[in-house]
Amino acid sequence: MSIRVENLTHIYNKGLAYETKAVDDVSFTVADGEFIGIIGHTGSGKSTLIQHLNGILKPESGSIFIGDAEITAKKIKMNEIRKRVGLVFQYPEYQLFEETVSKDIAFGPKNLGLSEEEIDERVREAMQMVGLDFATYAGRSPFELSGGQKRRVAIAGVIAMRPEVLILDEPTAGLDPKSHEDILNMVKSIRHRAGGIVILVSHNMGDVAEMADRVFVMDGGKLARVGTPAEVFADEAFLKRIGLGVPPAARMANDLAARGLASGRVILNIDEMTDFLADTLSGARESKS
Amino acid sequence: MNFVKDDKMIRIEDLVFEYGWDEEEAAAPVNAVDHVSLEVERGSFTAVIGRNGSGKSTLAKNINALLLPASGRVIVDGFDTLDDAALWEIRQRVGMVFQNPDNQLVSAVVEDDVAFGPENLGVAPDEIRERIRFSLTAVDMYAHRKMAPHLLSGGQKQRVAIAGVIAMKPEIIIFDEPTAMLDPEGRAEVMGIIERLHEENITVVLITHFMEETLNSDRIVIMDRGRIAMEGTPAEIFSRTAEIEALDLKLPFAVELTARLKERGIDIPAGLITERALSEHLLTLWKGNETSDLCPSE
Repeated sequence: MSIRVENLTHIYNKGLAYETKAVDDVSFTVADGEFIGIIGHTGSGKSTLIQHLNGILKPESGSIFIGDAEITAKKIKMNEIRKRVGLVFQYPEYQLFEETVSKDIAFGPKNLGLSEEEIDERVREAMQMVGLDFATYAGRSPFELSGGQKRRVAIAGVIAMRPEVLILDEPTAGLDPKSHEDILNMVKSIRHRAGGIVILVSHNMGDVAEMADRVFVMDGGKLARVGTPAEVFADEAFLKRIGLGVPPAARMANDLAARGLASGRVILNIDEMTDFLADTLSGARESKS
Repeated sequence: MNFVKDDKMIRIEDLVFEYGWDEEEAAAPVNAVDHVSLEVERGSFTAVIGRNGSGKSTLAKNINALLLPASGRVIVDGFDTLDDAALWEIRQRVGMVFQNPDNQLVSAVVEDDVAFGPENLGVAPDEIRERIRFSLTAVDMYAHRKMAPHLLSGGQKQRVAIAGVIAMKPEIIIFDEPTAMLDPEGRAEVMGIIERLHEENITVVLITHFMEETLNSDRIVIMDRGRIAMEGTPAEIFSRTAEIEALDLKLPFAVELTARLKERGIDIPAGLITERALSEHLLTLWKGNETSDLCPSE
């Protein structure tokens, strides 16, 4: 399963005075099993782009292929797209509505017309993947759960559709540091177990650097940069100019480099920063003695 | 209405708030706020952190009388929130800014949005115009005053929401995760404005999950299960690393890096909690090494 996007353009308010090209001639491919991070300031076109990937929005022009299925084709059925591409919206817990956790997760599979047994199996599997114990939580009301747990329920509802492409839009926004970490670990384990493509949209540069194989940088509706985290986060000046930034370790490394203490490599996380500083500072001390 | 002249801006005495259905704190225990006492100095900057459901937002909503104590008292600038007659005085003094700017903007034009609060206070039209100018200037959004809020970026919207609060001329502004939904630039903009308001002697209470945003505060209060778990200056709080981690919180980047470098034998004094302070020290260490390399001992 791969994704191919060709010359995708989306225009909001077409023909009106404030017509805007939210997505402007964007093309890319994603290989099977890849983890893509998408970054971009508010209004750069990230959300518009991902809403095309699961068919919520139809483009002005261009096409999208998920595997061999062209989901931008006129005759395509929404269910066909939904089976392939799962989208977890921002603050998905606001969309929980059923009286129990298991009913909420079963909602999507039910709409696919699956048998009761198949639905039950999928609900159990999805709950396990998001780290919610079936015996403890299946019969509880989603509204009694904590923020992090509610979000897991919402994500399980998408996973229960067994999508080949899982898209997460700011899955950690508003969570405390521990729940934030837990959700990231959950995403890693889902990817590990289910395979397929994962697309993470985030304002947290550190998370994107840590998780993604490749980073897509959106600006003004265009794909401004594409590369590995090391390639993309090497250019702090560019990212700042378009309202973004780099992970904290990279920010500090760049600051030290500007003042003479250069590492000569791209530093993205605290481990790399620790190694560089420990080597440089203790190495110098040893050579002295 | 009782009014007692008070040197503290906010005085919370043994506050208990029993659990009701508060959307954002749905996981809170029965006592969302459980016997909390806290004093906030005039003009100070207090950061409140703690995991989801620890009672932070409930505490904040008790300060502007959106929620009322089951027992204990909350005194704002001398006015008791349980005194019905004081409600108006309290709401005028305490402004709140929430996480989602889209839920806080009500008008089709930026300046109308800022005027909304003062109009409801019955402020005269000339004075309203002055307040619009003053508050939008304070958040660097005066040039956008004729624009429609939905055309602004997240950070810009949040700045307009803050301007709407400033236009009420509050003494206290409570920010409840104001940067949670913003991109890096929007976060920096909003934090810049919060620090500026603090410099201008507004009493600031900031609830956040981002540890870096607490580093310039006067005091950090950590909530846990409805109680105050820790309290102190940022340097004091972040020197207690094991306790912080036990409360499921994260260390600021510079503190974490310091801990790791110390394990590797690098000498770093306590209290360097910002990246800038740590960088300065590392550069000094490095230059010291360089100099000794250049001048080998004879």
